[in-house]
Amino acid sequence: MEMRRVSGWFTLKGKSINSIAYSFHRLTGMVLLLYLIAHLSFLTSLRIGEETYTAFISTTVRPETLPLDSLLFLATFYHAFNGLRVVLNEFGLLYEVRKALIYVMTLLALIFWLYSTYMMYVFVTGW
Amino acid sequence: MSESHTRKVLEPFGWVFQMITGLLLFAFVIFHLYITHLTSHDALEYAKVVERLSNPAIKAFYWLFLASASFHAFNGLRAVLLDTDFGARNEKAVNALTMLLFLIAVVYGGLLLLAF
Amino acid sequence: MEREVLFRIRRFDGEKEYWQDFRFTARKGMTVLEGLYFIKESLDGSLAFRASCRMGVCGSCAVKVNGKPRLACETQIFDVGDVLEIEPLDNMPVLKDLVVDMDGFFRKHEAVKPYLIRKDDDYKNPKELLQTPKELHAYYDFSLCIKCGACYSACPASATRSDYLGPAAITAAYRFCMDSRDEGKEERLGLVSGSDGVWRCHFNAECSEVCPKSVEPAKAMQKMRLMSAIHMIKSIFR
Repeated sequence: MEMRRVSGWFTLKGKSINSIAYSFHRLTGMVLLLYLIAHLSFLTSLRIGEETYTAFISTTVRPETLPLDSLLFLATFYHAFNGLRVVLNEFGLLYEVRKALIYVMTLLALIFWLYSTYMMYVFVTGW
Repeated sequence: MSESHTRKVLEPFGWVFQMITGLLLFAFVIFHLYITHLTSHDALEYAKVVERLSNPAIKAFYWLFLASASFHAFNGLRAVLLDTDFGARNEKAVNALTMLLFLIAVVYGGLLLLAF
Repeated sequence: MEREVLFRIRRFDGEKEYWQDFRFTARKGMTVLEGLYFIKESLDGSLAFRASCRMGVCGSCAVKVNGKPRLACETQIFDVGDVLEIEPLDNMPVLKDLVVDMDGFFRKHEAVKPYLIRKDDDYKNPKELLQTPKELHAYYDFSLCIKCGACYSACPASATRSDYLGPAAITAAYRFCMDSRDEGKEERLGLVSGSDGVWRCHFNAECSEVCPKSVEPAKAMQKMRLMSAIHMIKSIFR
């Protein structure tokens, strides 16, 4: 029963672009929460010692994990720009142009995503 | 009494701080990515990380970043949980648990930062 | 202009849910409600749906057409297409076919005290309450709500939390808070600022998309929440 209802956050049939933006915001938010927990736990290795830390870095920062980094950037920038839109709208600003704002913010997120993926590619492959 | 007071404080402040931390994170994340990936190619090496974290300004920045990010994340989780009937039934527990997780993240991260 | 259309209706007989197809010839200009009446009169008399005024005033006939909640009487069949999937509204228990139990929806409406609250209420000696056109326009758009339940059906927060007041009730609260004749703002702010109130909205804004009267519930909700936040934060420091 509960799970069927939670699907209401991700039901898009008959819904507008607003709901798509909302669903992605919630999805990326939860992904970023999990990432934050993983990231903070990972940093504990700094305390354990150099060897553990370096071992972690060499398994996670390499060309093979680039697609995952790219997905993380996509989630981050989507959540950031869409969040900015929500802040503006929740303060009653730009309410009338809320749909146009979704396209603008998504476009900005995509530009940041492509740029950051490119920079990450340069970073992991060496320059 | 205390329960209603907590709810009264947490709901409006949660909403306001979710926005404030969200806006702060915008700048923080970009700065964090800049210093870890764009300044030099060996920015993630152990010695470099330790060197960075021994700078008090960077230390303060990371602590603020940690506080903002963990508040935003766990308050977001609180909102997601309270959006469900399950959350409505266990409102007190959801509030306490998410705020506790936030505090643990801030304190643990703070101790980690102090170690450098 | 006439052509054959398919009405695919999600039915419920009290025990089981099933889809039933009805094919008939529709005329240009025929509404979904007229289609439902045609089915009931000529094809299957057991079909249950709610309707009354046939002109978008009473708010009885809201159903989901191809997933989107709309008034059946204000939706022309040919504007939607040749295949129409018709379902009862979401987030309310289905009683039979397209008829949902709106009791909870109305109880929530009632809970925010959607009427003028005045200290000088005196029904024995009624007096005229004056209002300028500017004061009227502060809330007029939000007073056009016909309680059809379309926003409540589209709202993802209402979908997952059954005690959430919902867009319609909070819009009604805002409408009365903005009324220059009203003195019950504090009381109403207390009623909508619990965890089942304004904080559950995350600006999905689907309510404003589906509202057949363009009441803009999403706008009222944001203003109501800002008002609640300011009010509550002020009251902590008072």
